[in-house]
Amino acid sequence: MITWLITVKEIKQHFRDFRTFIFLLGFPIVLMLILGITLTNAFSSEMQLNDIKVLVRDSSSAGLSEAFKAFEKELGATGIAFEQLKPGEDGRKAIEDNRYTAYVEVSDAGMSQYGSSRSAIESNIVQGMLSTFADKYNAAAAVTRDGDPSKAELVFANAGSGDYVKELSIAADRSPGSMDYYAMAMTVMVGLWGAMSVGGLIRSEIVRGTGIRLLSAPIRRGEIYVGKVLGNVVANTLCILAIVFFSKWVFNAYWGAHLPVVFAVLVSEVIMATSFGIAANELVKGGGGRALVMLVVQLTSFIGGAYFPVDDSGVMGLVSWLSPIRWGNEALTNIVYGCNLAAAWPAIGLYLGAALLLLLATASMRRNKEGF
Amino acid sequence: MNVLDIRGLTKKFGDFVAVDNISFKVGEGEIFGFLGANGAGKSTTINMICSLLQPSGGEIRILDRDIKTQSRFAKQSLGIVPQDLAIYEDMTAYENVSFFAGLYGLRGGQLKERTEEALAFVGLGDKAKSFPKTFSGGMKRRLNIACAIAHKPKLIIMDEPTVGIDPQSRNYILASVRKLNESGCTIIYTSHYMEEVEEICSRIAIVDHGKIIAEGTKEQLTATVTDVKDIVIELKTATGGEAERLTGLPGVRKASQEENVIRIHSDASVDNLNRILKRLMEGDSEIRAVEEREPNLEMVFLTLTGRNLRD
Repeated sequence: MITWLITVKEIKQHFRDFRTFIFLLGFPIVLMLILGITLTNAFSSEMQLNDIKVLVRDSSSAGLSEAFKAFEKELGATGIAFEQLKPGEDGRKAIEDNRYTAYVEVSDAGMSQYGSSRSAIESNIVQGMLSTFADKYNAAAAVTRDGDPSKAELVFANAGSGDYVKELSIAADRSPGSMDYYAMAMTVMVGLWGAMSVGGLIRSEIVRGTGIRLLSAPIRRGEIYVGKVLGNVVANTLCILAIVFFSKWVFNAYWGAHLPVVFAVLVSEVIMATSFGIAANELVKGGGGRALVMLVVQLTSFIGGAYFPVDDSGVMGLVSWLSPIRWGNEALTNIVYGCNLAAAWPAIGLYLGAALLLLLATASMRRNKEGF
Repeated sequence: MNVLDIRGLTKKFGDFVAVDNISFKVGEGEIFGFLGANGAGKSTTINMICSLLQPSGGEIRILDRDIKTQSRFAKQSLGIVPQDLAIYEDMTAYENVSFFAGLYGLRGGQLKERTEEALAFVGLGDKAKSFPKTFSGGMKRRLNIACAIAHKPKLIIMDEPTVGIDPQSRNYILASVRKLNESGCTIIYTSHYMEEVEEICSRIAIVDHGKIIAEGTKEQLTATVTDVKDIVIELKTATGGEAERLTGLPGVRKASQEENVIRIHSDASVDNLNRILKRLMEGDSEIRAVEEREPNLEMVFLTLTGRNLRD
């Protein structure tokens, strides 16, 4: 009960400190807005395709030629332009000069395609379409050989009009845009800021002189610590909730369909951050502890991807895993975009494990010490 | 019954002995003055009584119970008014008193009643919803007291509760101390203002270099200094350095000066007033008044420690 009394006092004081409140909420929101807008292109998944122009030399017999013309007509409707090779013109040279995306030679012996390396994606699309056309034509020819021409029409009809390219993706259906990314990254970063506010928890009591009253009251030192830590955790969690809902409703950031699991990860992060703040301030007394916390928070924010997305490859990719922000970002990305709720466990485990170790270390440092 | 019983209390910080084997008792209903210059060991002793510091040796008993083994009971019986303000500026007067009283187990209606009572006692009943940052120094000091008394402790330690406040607030606080005492509280009172101690304390202990060097009532203590006298000379104008000119005169133990008032601590057996006045007039000082004072606590303190209380 006394612990709760201290917790309530901490929360009350936390939100009455207007400057801190503005800093905790305002700074990440502004940063989210600036980075989210300026780095929009870095997160765009859309691809720009150039116009596709195909040069054709058709020397095939009537059946194939007719089918190919129908193919050209159908694709022409989608914006792909087919031009016939003029007499005396060199198709391969035209490709080398980058005047066409692809050059196709159609004969009864088969089809040959020459693609431009300068338009590799467009050239691959043409190749895919030609391959589909060849498969359909071969299937129709096989059916016709059985003596029933009407079945050949069925082959083309079943294929569906324009069904020459099918879009397949091994990536998730949804991936974060810049605002989505920074909403998540900033929230995880604010979770780590719990370490900064905890530095003042004990120091403020000493500076105000109220530490004497607390320590001379009939309560255990542990109750004071637990009350204060809980207060810090609750206050920081409320800030995080505010940031999540603000980004969701004002910036339309996507937070997925599993918000309780998202909050579980974030709360465990705040507990870890609070424990780190306590340990750092125990290790380095006075203003030094605060400076140490600030340094570590900024460093881990930077390497953990709070300001810029982290590339998984290379040394930086490995180093980024040392940052608690990376643990949170990774877990939340999987939960929000992959609906992978199990991804919460490693992050929660790491956060709470680290918190336990830090608190044990603090208890060990505090043993036999007087006062706060 | 003794409310506080200290036996052989010692506190060492490394090789430095801050409190050296002191023993004293404070009886129920007393206002016990605890005097000492800065660094004498007074605050260290108070901190040990409040369980803020662990003694290196000795025993502290509050209401006959050892605070080491029955810490919770001892703390419950104790109220502390620290020298530095110990209040939250970002919480209202009511919230401050209520929070600290809550730490002593008060809840619900009782907590509300005691909080209001404590605020009314120090004259802040109408300021319950105000924040201390809007208070004067004297009002903050009074709130500092309210935070210590809401749980109705048997023993209240007041560590310089009147430091840095206006005379009106000081009188209010001294009257409050008396009222608290009349209501049954035992009080340990420290102050740099000797006249306050003389006015309200029923018994006094003087601590110096970690030891108690004198203990008794005001009358008992002043009776020990029959061999000294204090002469106070008021000058019309002072140029500074007048007190220094008096050192070395026969019988003069110490001479100090505050603006145009010179205090001379001298051997009572030496008739040196004429010489003192002559020395001052030789330096072109014009004398407005001369007073030879009866022995008082300040004289006792100076005689025993060789220092003024405010040194």
